[in-house]
Amino acid sequence: MKLWMKHFFGSGELFIWGCGAGLSLSLLMIGGLLVLILLNGFGYFWPADLVELTLKDGKHVIGQLAGEEVSPKGIPRIRMKIGNRDLYGLDYRWINSDQIIERAKPSDLVMVERREWGNFYGRLGTLHKEDQVVAEGSDAVWQSLPPLLRHQESSETESVYTLRIVDANGKEKSVSLSQVIRVLRPNDLSTLEKLRVYIGNVWTVLTTEPREANTEGGIFPAIFGTVMMVIIMSVVVTPFGVISALYLREYARQGVIVRTVRIAVNNLAGVPSIVFGVFGLGFFVYGVGGTIDALWFSERLPTPTFGTGGILWASLTLALLTVPVVIVATEEGLAAVPREYREGSIGLGATKWETIWKVVLPTALPGILTGLILAMARAAGEVAPLMLTGVVKLAPAMPIDGTWPFLHLDRKFMHLGFHIYDVGFQSPNVEAAKPMVYVTTLVLILVVVTLNLTGIVLRNRMRRKYAGSAV
Amino acid sequence: MNVPPFTPTPALQGEPPSGRGSFPNSTLVGGLFSRRQIRSITDGFTGFIIKTGGIGIILCILGMCVFLVKEVIPLFQPSRATSTESISLSAPKTTSTTVLIGIDEQQELAYVLRDGSLEFVFLAGATPATQEIPSRTLVTDESVTAVTRALGKGHYLAVGTEDGRIIPVAIEFTHEFRGNDRLISPSVTVGTPIMAAPTPQPITKMAYQRTESDVRIAALLQDQHLWLTTSRTTSRPDGTAAASITQVDLTPTIPGRITALTLGSRAEILAVGTAEGNLHHLDVAEPARPVLVETTRASEQGKAITALAYLMGDRSLIVGHESGELSVWTPVREHPGTNKTHMAPIHRFAAHQSAVTDITISQRDKGFITTDTGGEIRLHHSTSEQTLLTLTPQQGGLRNTYFSPKADGLVSVTEDNRLIHYHIANPYPEITWATLFSPVWYEGYDQPKLVWQSSSGSDDFEPKFSLTPLIFGTIKGTVYAVLLAVPLAVLAAIYTAMFMHPNLRAKIKPTIEIMAALPTVVLGFLAGLWFAPVLERNFPAMTGMVLVLPLVIAVAAGFYLILPASFRHRIRPGVEALLMMPIIVAVVWGCLETNAWWESFLFDGHYKPWLESHLGLNYDQRNAVVVGVAMGFAIIPIIYSISEEALSNVPKNLIAGSLALGATRWQTLAHLVLISASPGIFSALMIGFGRAVGETMIVLMATGNTPIMDWSLFNGFRTLSANIAVEIPEAPQGGTLYRTLFLAGLLLFMATFALNTAAELIRQRLRSKYSQF
Repeated sequence: MKLWMKHFFGSGELFIWGCGAGLSLSLLMIGGLLVLILLNGFGYFWPADLVELTLKDGKHVIGQLAGEEVSPKGIPRIRMKIGNRDLYGLDYRWINSDQIIERAKPSDLVMVERREWGNFYGRLGTLHKEDQVVAEGSDAVWQSLPPLLRHQESSETESVYTLRIVDANGKEKSVSLSQVIRVLRPNDLSTLEKLRVYIGNVWTVLTTEPREANTEGGIFPAIFGTVMMVIIMSVVVTPFGVISALYLREYARQGVIVRTVRIAVNNLAGVPSIVFGVFGLGFFVYGVGGTIDALWFSERLPTPTFGTGGILWASLTLALLTVPVVIVATEEGLAAVPREYREGSIGLGATKWETIWKVVLPTALPGILTGLILAMARAAGEVAPLMLTGVVKLAPAMPIDGTWPFLHLDRKFMHLGFHIYDVGFQSPNVEAAKPMVYVTTLVLILVVVTLNLTGIVLRNRMRRKYAGSAV
Repeated sequence: MNVPPFTPTPALQGEPPSGRGSFPNSTLVGGLFSRRQIRSITDGFTGFIIKTGGIGIILCILGMCVFLVKEVIPLFQPSRATSTESISLSAPKTTSTTVLIGIDEQQELAYVLRDGSLEFVFLAGATPATQEIPSRTLVTDESVTAVTRALGKGHYLAVGTEDGRIIPVAIEFTHEFRGNDRLISPSVTVGTPIMAAPTPQPITKMAYQRTESDVRIAALLQDQHLWLTTSRTTSRPDGTAAASITQVDLTPTIPGRITALTLGSRAEILAVGTAEGNLHHLDVAEPARPVLVETTRASEQGKAITALAYLMGDRSLIVGHESGELSVWTPVREHPGTNKTHMAPIHRFAAHQSAVTDITISQRDKGFITTDTGGEIRLHHSTSEQTLLTLTPQQGGLRNTYFSPKADGLVSVTEDNRLIHYHIANPYPEITWATLFSPVWYEGYDQPKLVWQSSSGSDDFEPKFSLTPLIFGTIKGTVYAVLLAVPLAVLAAIYTAMFMHPNLRAKIKPTIEIMAALPTVVLGFLAGLWFAPVLERNFPAMTGMVLVLPLVIAVAAGFYLILPASFRHRIRPGVEALLMMPIIVAVVWGCLETNAWWESFLFDGHYKPWLESHLGLNYDQRNAVVVGVAMGFAIIPIIYSISEEALSNVPKNLIAGSLALGATRWQTLAHLVLISASPGIFSALMIGFGRAVGETMIVLMATGNTPIMDWSLFNGFRTLSANIAVEIPEAPQGGTLYRTLFLAGLLLFMATFALNTAAELIRQRLRSKYSQF
């Protein structure tokens, strides 16, 4: 036994297992996080079946199942998304399992997607045109609805139609048809049809504007704002980063000063992003923006034009934040260009600039691209500096539109990351907003991870290609 | 690699080298330059562009620090006063005994009230209104014996006469714009006189205050009686107004000779100072029933109190003595259990050389101006306990001094009837190194405290700008994050670098690298909205997990070791981590399922009351544990990557040598690899630390953002970075809060820059050490 103990501790096998456990725990944490986001994010689009519960007190509940658990008191209970915010005030409800007599999925249950108050779960009642009843009864209304809804945008008479919907306990609710986006019978759909609805939902979220204080509808302006900002940032950061790297690697005399500068630039990548935000606010927004306003937009003062946060200042701030990434990656790329290439070029009589332009830069291009992509990934995920330099929860207008000068750099914009923060933490109805936050998170993570993967793959390929020749 | 510059020489032109990339001929381009010359010029030009551009860009990047410093510096610059020309006032008919001076908001028009005659004086730069300036005599028949002004906003003066009447005078300035000119026109309203006491007597001193309905006067008469008079205007139903007057003799309640008195700006409190140095504090909210709240000895030596004034907000009282001493007093609770308060000195200022004669408060902040008999004017700020300015306009005393309504100037009347005017630049009086980092005794607190509270609903709020609680919060969050992340990340790095199967390693490293790119807003959201409630529900199970997991891992490892060797050898070495996974998942699942059991086993059934009663800790949903986990998550990848790099860069021949000499894997690791790579791991730790220090979104979303100083695991905190994000949208540009937040940013910048530089230097040394092998 003693020997075994000695073997056990002395050989250190235990510690190796401990190390392994550390790694597996880290991996499990990452995996769990991703699974959590994927499940919640992708689950949002699925048109889940509507369940009608009959409770012991004779009441009915219609809604979607949203989870099951054992309450702190030890009673099993289920969580239902009951919708109908205008009637009940709440979106979710806990129901103890022992209260439920019957669960059913009648096919005539409908989910009415509305512009206001969120979804309505219930049954179709009657359809009115002004004061006349056009259709009565669940099925009749269901039959007559699609053509009306299809022509919703074009017809002007849509507002004369009123739909009466009935909730689980027979309470009626009138909705003007102009307020109705879609009516679905999820229980009536086959899996394939549901899949179609699912893809349609994904498309809707990606391409439409938000509704209801950002908790419903789409996230298109946020996606657009994020992409716009990253593009402007890239346009700025690439030349600056490349020129700096060229200077540091090709032109400056290598010595203590350049080494110090290199360390300093490198370390700038580790400076907290909020500090860049503070700098952006003080320097770009108030300093440069204020000056621009005073010089060219003085007639609009005291309403600031550029002297307030905007997409240009946010992009410039992020460019500053990410320029170290580009410099470092470009330098790495330049250093990896084999010495023979340069010697060959110069030996053939090319000037230094010609060597750089025709030989070094093309060879180092993957490195530069890597840096740029990593910079874009970092910029897409940063939120703190944007909060100080121009991001808003709801931008009235896009940075690009049809009025001259088409690209409005002074406008405020929406951003996926800030959308998460705002909807998740600033909205009045956090419970109802959560699914939207998960969807936004999913989109953001997909963007960031795709960019990063591209960057990493490019970098690894480049390293392999020039392995051995690296300085 | 230095390329010699191309200098085209005629010799070369004749014999061009052939082949691609060379310059085949010397045809003149545009008739001016040869192709070679153009190439040479291009080369020089681009070289110049890149050099200047490169240097410029790098300077710009590094200029960030300079800019931050530049924005912060004004906070610590001394206040400045610039004197404008002094103006001679018209010679008084008799030698005046009472003088009051005031000035409008824009510091353009001053008024001087001397013995009942009011004179308006335009200061430089003012555009007078077309209307005539009312320079007039307010009191003609009797001689004036006392004048005073009401504390607070507006120009409400009171003139006390020989026969015991008090005449309220209100001066208003109206500004109108005509084209680009701003015109000022003053108007003067003289109110109905009020008798200060039932019997007419000369008034020697008085305090005057008016509210919407009341006019309240405390008047000291020649016979040393102190009368409190309240004139209350009530509107009758028919629209007319009637005044009722209440008069109370306060003399019996106050022993000693009265030398100074003041009413609070809401006319609810009265402070009286005596020749013996006693301070009497009266509650006069009820006109008919004034109550002596307390009597305090304000001067140990019994020096007479010569000047009194309430600071803006009526919470603290400035006391000036005959000896020149100056202090600020505020009611302080006797001990935390009671509501009973007593006056205590919370700030003491450097003493004047002679008796304090006059105190004027600022209407903007907690600043005030004092003058003494020697003719010295001093500007103080209560919160920061500093004397900002000392002005000695001339030899000889000052009759009266007034702090301009925007607290940016002062006017004074000298003994020889000259008006002096100073512009004061004093934008950040409340900030000193001491107020930023040391405890400060704020109004309404029992003792000096470290508090961050930048704003509140009321105007007379005392801003509290202590960065210490925020620095504390930053350190707290960082420490908890590092406590979680370092063991996990370093263990994982050791395993990946030393023991892991190479095929597996190639897959796992990029995975963790991608995790480093996970936006922190995502982590913050999950921490705040998903993990915090989950932890709150399953806290006992999580505690159990922390206890059980290491044990289970050890047992599992032991179990594996006692397996027969034949079986063990079938498993590839380097996959221990994979084998561990199901065990960990099982433990986590098992603990969560047995939450109720853990709760009764560890915490007697309910963990929140248990924590409260046994450890005195309060459980908040968004607490340091949640932040620690989320932020740990954020810094695991970076610590992992850098430590892994340091470990796997340990020269392979050393490791091979160690293993060949018969050391086990573990011995090689502990005695060779870890020791050589420890500087690298240390630098990884520092970089991780730097990340956590500046992390904003996670702390913003996963803590309650309350700036408290408490190491408890179960309550929130506020970090420097989150504080910037929370407060800067409301900070006006160039204001105290704005610059203080810039200072917070600068602190973060310097801290992370220092940490990263140190880490980088260590790594470079390590690299050069390894390169020897």
